[in-house]
Amino acid sequence: MSVEIFTTVMTLASSLVLLAGIAILWRRSLPAYIHAFARQSFFIVVAVLVLAARERDRELVLVALLMFALKVVFMPAALRRVQRHVGADADVRPYVNTPVSLAIAGILTLVAYAVAQPVVALSHLPTRGGMPLALASVFVGLFIVASRRSALSQIVGFLVMENGIALLAVLATYGVPLIVELGVFLDVLLGFLVMQVFVYRIRDAFETTDVDRLRSLRH
Amino acid sequence: MIGAGGGATGLGAILVEVLQGLLALLLAPGIVGLVRFIKARLQGRRGAPPWQPYRELAKLFGKEMVVSRNASWIFGVAPYVVFASTLAVALLVPMLAAPLPIDRAGDLIVVVYLLLLGTFAIGLAGLDPGSAFGGMGSSRALTIAALAEPTIALAVFALAVPAGSTNLGRIVARAIEDPGGALSPGHLMALAALFIVMLAEAGRLPVDNPATHLELTMIHEAMILEYSGRSLALLEWAAFLKFFVFLSLLANLGLPWGVALNPGASAVLVAAAILIVKVALLAAAVAVLETRLAKLRLFRVPELLSVSFLLALLAITSSFLVE
Amino acid sequence: MLLIPLLGSPLLAAALSWLVRPYRRWVGIASASLSVATFVIAILLARRCLDGAAIVLGPMEFLRADSLSAVFALLVAGGACVSTVFGRSYLDRERSDGRLGEDRLRRFHALTNVFIFTMLLAVTAHNVGIMWVAVEATTIATAFLIGLERSEGAIEASWKYILIGSIGIALAFVGTVLGYFDFVARVGPTDGALNWSVLVRVADRLDPDIMRLSFVFVLIGYGTKAGLAPMHTWLPDAHSEAPAPISAMMSGALLPVALYAVLRWKAVTDACVGDGFTDHMLMIIGALSVAVAAALLVRQAHYKRMLAYSSVEHVGLACLGFGFGPAGLPAALLHLLSHAAAKSTVFLLSGEILHRYRTTRVSGVSGLLKTMPLAGGLFLAGILGLLGLPPFGLFLSEFLLIRAGFAAGYPRLTGFVLLMVLLIFISLLGHVSRMLYGSPPEAIHRGDLPAARYVPIALSLAILVILGLVIPGPLASLLRSAVEVVYG
Repeated sequence: MSVEIFTTVMTLASSLVLLAGIAILWRRSLPAYIHAFARQSFFIVVAVLVLAARERDRELVLVALLMFALKVVFMPAALRRVQRHVGADADVRPYVNTPVSLAIAGILTLVAYAVAQPVVALSHLPTRGGMPLALASVFVGLFIVASRRSALSQIVGFLVMENGIALLAVLATYGVPLIVELGVFLDVLLGFLVMQVFVYRIRDAFETTDVDRLRSLRH
Repeated sequence: MIGAGGGATGLGAILVEVLQGLLALLLAPGIVGLVRFIKARLQGRRGAPPWQPYRELAKLFGKEMVVSRNASWIFGVAPYVVFASTLAVALLVPMLAAPLPIDRAGDLIVVVYLLLLGTFAIGLAGLDPGSAFGGMGSSRALTIAALAEPTIALAVFALAVPAGSTNLGRIVARAIEDPGGALSPGHLMALAALFIVMLAEAGRLPVDNPATHLELTMIHEAMILEYSGRSLALLEWAAFLKFFVFLSLLANLGLPWGVALNPGASAVLVAAAILIVKVALLAAAVAVLETRLAKLRLFRVPELLSVSFLLALLAITSSFLVE
Repeated sequence: MLLIPLLGSPLLAAALSWLVRPYRRWVGIASASLSVATFVIAILLARRCLDGAAIVLGPMEFLRADSLSAVFALLVAGGACVSTVFGRSYLDRERSDGRLGEDRLRRFHALTNVFIFTMLLAVTAHNVGIMWVAVEATTIATAFLIGLERSEGAIEASWKYILIGSIGIALAFVGTVLGYFDFVARVGPTDGALNWSVLVRVADRLDPDIMRLSFVFVLIGYGTKAGLAPMHTWLPDAHSEAPAPISAMMSGALLPVALYAVLRWKAVTDACVGDGFTDHMLMIIGALSVAVAAALLVRQAHYKRMLAYSSVEHVGLACLGFGFGPAGLPAALLHLLSHAAAKSTVFLLSGEILHRYRTTRVSGVSGLLKTMPLAGGLFLAGILGLLGLPPFGLFLSEFLLIRAGFAAGYPRLTGFVLLMVLLIFISLLGHVSRMLYGSPPEAIHRGDLPAARYVPIALSLAILVILGLVIPGPLASLLRSAVEVVYG
């Protein structure tokens, strides 16, 4: 694979990751959110596999497989199950309307470019063009958490953010050391499971997953 | 602006232009007919044959015009303005060969303004007779245009940055010379943005339903509701032409291969054949898309357009900042 | 070899609590004893690290403890020891009241020990990535502990905690990745590239712009876990809703662990950037935290939230100390040690108060000294300690902090902070005196727990007093070598 094509493919994958994250801002139902997250994870898996093939790196193949199992298969399925159980809250009711959300996503992307500029300048890797996009996904995920009321969509936002970081690590350093990567996977998985349990508890206690209703402690 | 280079000068070039204009005028109704035909088949209907729009146009040209008593001269002039501006755009967009001498006459920015001129004229015409539907349609159409225009400008600019020119012919020529650039995210996002804008501007689903006369949802049809006879024929033809121009622009920016880099007779004929195939394929894609999409509720339209605006913005950031 | 028992004993306790079913009382006793053992080991570890020696263990020096680690290990193990030993009274009572079933008790013990283990791992891990993993794991372990009571408030608090905590920590990982990227780009990929001793050694070859950026992410990320303003919003909820022993550990031990992570990165960033960049950031965020705590304490109606905001204040003060250079750092470390002793005391006793008065409102508690003379007296002592009165440790450390601030050339900032501390002093004292004096409500049962139960609390207050009178020689040399670890 020539460097040019590799660069283009990696940048394209990063853009698709960002766009999948932004797609959440435009979609209006939790199943669509979950689908967009699964798709985003899939693009990252593809990027990691392409990188692994180019670098002939077995560890990266392992990372890609783990990521596929966890973020493309398991987590979306688990989220869908929770969503079915929790029921009526399929509507996501953001605090911010769609055009404004999209405009903010645009601004966040510009900010990400500004922030990542010294990083891109230092890097010699052919993947450097995607780094601002990965950082932008982190910001977009953060924005999803901040602007959505339903506990489940906040989880999706957190996972989008997590995806952005995973992509950033891949693009910037061709992956952090395997032991750290495994620890991160474990933490993300456990964190996800704990959050999932709390969605049920919130629903049982408040009869909704609208976190806006969680305001007994604001004093 | 970088002038149009290449060997395309003199008589040959003029012939290419004439051919392009004729091709666009003649094919445009057929392409729209094709979309309708494929849609009908996909929806399990038999549908009218693809050449049905030609029959409609012929019929309309033969009919008498009825003009509302409330209408002013604007009502009469508007169809000609719309038709002429759209035809001018059809001549400026590189369909068969690039770059061309006529590129000097206008670049992308001119194209954008010509399109806006057409929208403006038809919007005025919708308001002019003072009918309720016409005003409603105009207001909706102009709202959409106001949202779509900045996107076109941004997307076009994103495409212009790598080519170093806002000249459409240059941009297409550059895309042929550098095929890797066609895969770059900036390029693709700009095309995606243009595609969405195209759906909005050409009055296709999910923004407008070209097949409906249901007062609550129609936009373009509402504006031309008062027209009949030759004027209606001109407006319809202009709408077909606009759709065709958008499709061929997208086709040539996205998949530039096949566009002749020198206006030799054989190259141009090959280019014409390839163009027809590309546009027909895109039209089929639009048809498939339209059968799968429902029309958006009107308040969702600005959201869709802000998606395309965002895409264009992302396209321009990635074109500019990743150099 | 001290590191194996240090990390092993909480892990053993966790395994015991999880595997023995149904829950048996001796498991609680074993768990408390193991936490005492952990504390003893931490003291031994600190002794070994006095003169700047480092203990390493495992392939690629997986674990590495130096004097800075030792300070924080002391703090974690000490806080855990007091909380688990005294926490037995809390658990026995909740159990006999029927509020905690066998299953939840088992889970409580297991998760508490996992929590202690992850904190100790965070301060002894050599790899900053593993450190990150450990800090993130504390979030997961504590989320269920906060939500143990399953009241609406507890669920709300745990949701906020896990969401905000996870996001913060994710941002810290961005910082970690950027640091690693800098290393790989400038030095090249090698084994142990994320080990902090390696990072510090090659720091002068790293790119300063990237390290600055990395430090900003690290500070925001770990700062969220440390409860620094403006990322502190989860803290009052979590600390006030959690069971008392958990609040005590979260406030006394977990917040400093997050600061430890910041300190490790500060050492690398300082060695690379050279100017006062990290100092300025830390001072800004520290002063902001103190100011926010002061503003929110003035009209605080709930005593556990009051203690939580006091944690924000003290973490902010420690942050300021980190920013005040080599003279500020030992003062800040001392401050964290004293704060851990004082805050575990008052949080544990607040559990007693809550149980007796059945309210978290300051206005609902009166005559505390009459209803529970012993507990009330200890609570008063703890609060006075928190307020920084002599002869308690926080007086000395705050004095050293302020002096370092003036000496470092920030008289206006230090003056402002002093003013805020004074404001907090007045409002906190006002709230607490309303709780301590007056006549108790009619229906309140009078009397303390058996005096022996208060021994751990009395001991931690004794340590607080000792720290206020004199800095023991070994501690002084430990702090000195910790300063060398950070400032090279």
